[in-house]
Amino acid sequence: MATKVPVSDPARDRHQLQTLILAITILSMVLLAVFFAVMFAAWLNQFGFLHFPLGFYLLAQGLLIFIVAAGFWFIRVQERIDLARSESEGLG
Amino acid sequence: MVVPSRLRTPNPHLGAYYGIVTAAFVSLIVVLAMFEQLGWGESLLAQTMMLVPLALFLLIAIGARTTQATDFFASGRRVPAVYNGFVLAAVAVGGVGFLAYIGTLYFLGFDALAIGLGWTFGIFAAGVLFVPYLRKAGSYTVPSFLGHRFRSRSLRMAASAMQLAPTALLLVAELKIAALIAAFFLPVSFSLGVLLIAALIAAFAILGGMRSLTWTGSAEFLVGAVGLAVVVTTIAILLSNAPAPQLTYGAMFPALQNAEITAGITPLNPGEIAAALPGTAPSPAAKPFLQSFGILGSFDFATLFLCLALGTAALPSLLVRSGVTSSLPEQRRSSAWALLFVAAFVITAPAMAVFAKLIIFRDLALAPSSALPGWLAELSANKLLQTGDANGDGTIGAAELFIGRDGVTLALPSAAGLPYVLTVLMGTAALAVALAAAAAHLFTLGASLAEDLYRVLDRHETLPRIVAAWAAIAATALAAVVFLMIADLDPLKTALLAFAFAGATFFPTLLLAIWWPRCTKWGALAALGAGFAMMLIEVLFGGALGLGLTGLTIPLASLIGAVVALGAGVGVSLYISAPSKMVDDYREVMRDPGGDTIYDRAQMRAAATAAATAAAAEAGP
Repeated sequence: MATKVPVSDPARDRHQLQTLILAITILSMVLLAVFFAVMFAAWLNQFGFLHFPLGFYLLAQGLLIFIVAAGFWFIRVQERIDLARSESEGLG
Repeated sequence: MVVPSRLRTPNPHLGAYYGIVTAAFVSLIVVLAMFEQLGWGESLLAQTMMLVPLALFLLIAIGARTTQATDFFASGRRVPAVYNGFVLAAVAVGGVGFLAYIGTLYFLGFDALAIGLGWTFGIFAAGVLFVPYLRKAGSYTVPSFLGHRFRSRSLRMAASAMQLAPTALLLVAELKIAALIAAFFLPVSFSLGVLLIAALIAAFAILGGMRSLTWTGSAEFLVGAVGLAVVVTTIAILLSNAPAPQLTYGAMFPALQNAEITAGITPLNPGEIAAALPGTAPSPAAKPFLQSFGILGSFDFATLFLCLALGTAALPSLLVRSGVTSSLPEQRRSSAWALLFVAAFVITAPAMAVFAKLIIFRDLALAPSSALPGWLAELSANKLLQTGDANGDGTIGAAELFIGRDGVTLALPSAAGLPYVLTVLMGTAALAVALAAAAAHLFTLGASLAEDLYRVLDRHETLPRIVAAWAAIAATALAAVVFLMIADLDPLKTALLAFAFAGATFFPTLLLAIWWPRCTKWGALAALGAGFAMMLIEVLFGGALGLGLTGLTIPLASLIGAVVALGAGVGVSLYISAPSKMVDDYREVMRDPGGDTIYDRAQMRAAATAAATAAAAEAGP
């Protein structure tokens, strides 16, 4: 690798930490939602939503819509984090 | 002069081209629907509906032919995000998803939702964890990424060998689905169908590599999406007077439950049925659609979901497309588009299963066995359904109605009383998606064999780079044909095994390679080997170490394998000395979202060095 990488770089370290926190937050948020829906599906089915039993609806549609929204939201936040790094490196 | 990928612009007329492709396909459907009313036979309709799109795909592949390495292996790194999303979605769903997933929903109802949820979460996880970093690295295959990341030829070769399991299994599963559709609608036998389909996808992959796969795959996705949308929307209008199947099928649950009770379907408990997943042979539906955890318990549901999620996230055939867009943000967006398209299919699939089950059981529950509905005779003649009044009670019950899992989707238009052209349309849509997926798996396998095994072993490069890839793709296609001639496999279970292999071997390895700075070459090798060994033990001896509850042990074995692999990777990395400065620097550059693609920059440097050496030699002493 010909590119010289500095040993310590506050902008890089901040970027990597924010990226890691974002990835852990968003993945655990979705995973928790899935496991909550699976664990309580039978109980949730006693409630209705748009003519669907709620437990079924969450696993068939609700969580999928949530995952898609989370996917696009992730891009937005990650691009902001990336931009902050490139701006601070430009200033540096 | 080599142009950095972020400065390459896609063809500005792409939207117009694919608009024309979509409009032409819709016109074909309308024209054939008219010709059916004018008296065209089923055989002629089927041949025209299937062969015209196949010819179009071949023409696109010929138009996208190339012998340039960047085009062949990375589609020139100029594919717009939406088009890459099209192809990723088609590969993730595939013919197996199109036919076998909807069929599984018909049989398992609620319990099968784990499959679609797993795929969707897997695409999402790949977009967060792996895709941006693979894009920055820019390696042409996943094994070559691991090789570059750790500066290791042995790791690259090992990863290529272990990639064989998931990609080869998916290749034969998709090839079988495509050949079954071809044999069903066209005047060819299954064996000839396998041969013709394999030749077609090999032609796609050889003519233009990733470039032709991108542009044929986009057309195949559009044909699949239009076919599915037309059929499911038409049936939704017939059943609910509203063209929104995803929103309206919930209102049909009371009618479905009544029909199921009348047909004799009663709630089940996990373990009552020996095989958790339905097989290919026609069988009766035994579980009420809405019953939660009737065949798969909540534990099996969760393990199946996680296994498919990890497998999809780390599937080499999807990750190999991580270098085709012009920039890292564009690659992230393409993952989000793929997520949207896969989610749209997964949301629609239960509606199809509900429509099929409602129509079939409602009509049968009302009819005496002496006066069965006309569609039943039609489907029986097509071998999609088998039925008979076995107990002699004068009616057909659920236990007397045998339907093939992969035939449910194809049976739906006929059962709904729609013209034959819509049955063929459904077949064409499934065939198109299966072709996109099979071609992607074939290319991934062939390209890796050529790039990561042949080129690493043959340092003299006896065969030019592209020729080696052509040979590997052709040999792989031939091997898949021979295998399918000999072996009889279940596409759904084969695909599940492939996802399990990918989840146990590549997920932990990529997670450590990208996210853990302390990971070493030996750690990555240990992770790959441990995950693969766990899956091998499951395949050879079965039983997921005795923990499986309802006979569905492969997903559990995959998860155990992933955890063991993660532990092995961490343990071995910590035991052996820390990574070198060079390996560390590669990781830091890979994690930097700015700058050029690492692989392309290395290629440019190598080209500049070669040019300088040549100039110096020319200047001479």
